[in-house]
Amino acid sequence: MLKTRIIPCLDVIKNKVVKGVNFKNIKVMGNAVEMARYYSLSGADELCMLDINASYQNRKTFIKTVEAIAKVINIPLTVGGGISVLDDITDLLNAGADKVSINSAAVKNPKLIRQASIKHGSQCIVVAIDGKRHENKMKVVVKGGREITKKELIVWAKEVQSLGAGEILMTSMDTDGVQNGFDSSMLKKVTSNVSIPVIASGGVGNLEHFYLGHLTKSTGLLAASVFHSGKYKIKSVKKYLKNKGVPVRL
Amino acid sequence: MKKKVIGLIDGQSGNIGSINKAIKEIIKGRPYQLKIIKGEFDNSLFSKIILPGQGAYATLISNLKKLKIYKPLKKYLDNNRSYLGICVGMQILSDQGHEDKTTKGLGIIAGEIKKFKSKKLIIPHMGWNSIRLNKEDPIITNNLDNKDFYFVHSYIFQNIKKSNVLANTHYGKKFPSIIKKGNIYGVQFHPEKSHKYGLNLIKNYILKS
Repeated sequence: MLKTRIIPCLDVIKNKVVKGVNFKNIKVMGNAVEMARYYSLSGADELCMLDINASYQNRKTFIKTVEAIAKVINIPLTVGGGISVLDDITDLLNAGADKVSINSAAVKNPKLIRQASIKHGSQCIVVAIDGKRHENKMKVVVKGGREITKKELIVWAKEVQSLGAGEILMTSMDTDGVQNGFDSSMLKKVTSNVSIPVIASGGVGNLEHFYLGHLTKSTGLLAASVFHSGKYKIKSVKKYLKNKGVPVRL
Repeated sequence: MKKKVIGLIDGQSGNIGSINKAIKEIIKGRPYQLKIIKGEFDNSLFSKIILPGQGAYATLISNLKKLKIYKPLKKYLDNNRSYLGICVGMQILSDQGHEDKTTKGLGIIAGEIKKFKSKKLIIPHMGWNSIRLNKEDPIITNNLDNKDFYFVHSYIFQNIKKSNVLANTHYGKKFPSIIKKGNIYGVQFHPEKSHKYGLNLIKNYILKS
């Protein structure tokens, strides 16, 4: 039986994992390579890392960090942030990423999804979508939620699937960073409208939140703070889910 | 003592970094050496060949032809020499693959590659899933039965002889996840991404098969 994936997410600047509520008050949580190694050993099903400050200067160090992480883990690695053109995707795959996550570049230029999936295969193209409620509609947002686009969330989710995305990383900007649980209604809306895998992101604060995330039919559950702070170990989350009848890899 | 040479084919179908790293770890301090195959090669030099692949069947076949790997590889396989194909590297062992169009495969293990059918399934089949052994074999001893491995694929090996299936996995329905004919193996999952049990399987292939 296919297992629900537990995916720690590393927000990275250069080679450090950082944490910031809605991208404010940024705090260093640890060394990215050490944390990646730890998560791989302690039962993470996949690892996600995002370059959250992809300036020209930081980028070189970040790519080196991707290379270093790919060398120390033997689970799949998804890398996002700082992608604007096809070459950026190729660079990350060459650095050792298994999947690349495209967010605002895809919103700006949807053709990029098709080009990337033709060149590298759908299985390694993840489209990250940030969603937010605005005037009673679920909209796609960019720039960490600061800019609301014209795109409707579900229309966009279907579009990225038809353009060749292999997976959607769905973050609700209404719940991200506040640890009150995933955005179940937004996630359910997305999973019921696409047939590719959806990773739920944004808002995990306790064990029950993981279970509620699973109920949205998301096949991957992504979390950052609860793992980085040491509040939960990956194994304890999986044991909890297993007791609830959720298939997990233990 | 002369070292045995393992060939790792770079068919420009996904990056070979993880599998390269895994093989190096396994053969460290052992009488093996690893060579990357990027073009035409003398197949008599190799005692084992590993071909990882991702993405499309047709793309991998056409890459292998373009790189002049196809012919020496086909001969190598026709002679029943030791091979491990990973994901699409397994699928191309079949007679043909059906994606947008039909592509002829290496024709080593009878069968064809078709898409998962059910409309209810989330496709690709992506994530960790368990394997159930049909029979014991050197590469899947060490209690790998019922262990989880990492899968990413939308197509499966169909119309295969049961005697060529070492293990099955269930997703919507049962499909072959490890196949074998003579000295030729194929795995549908990615052992190089499958943590310790995946490494175990690669190690068994290199040292025991």
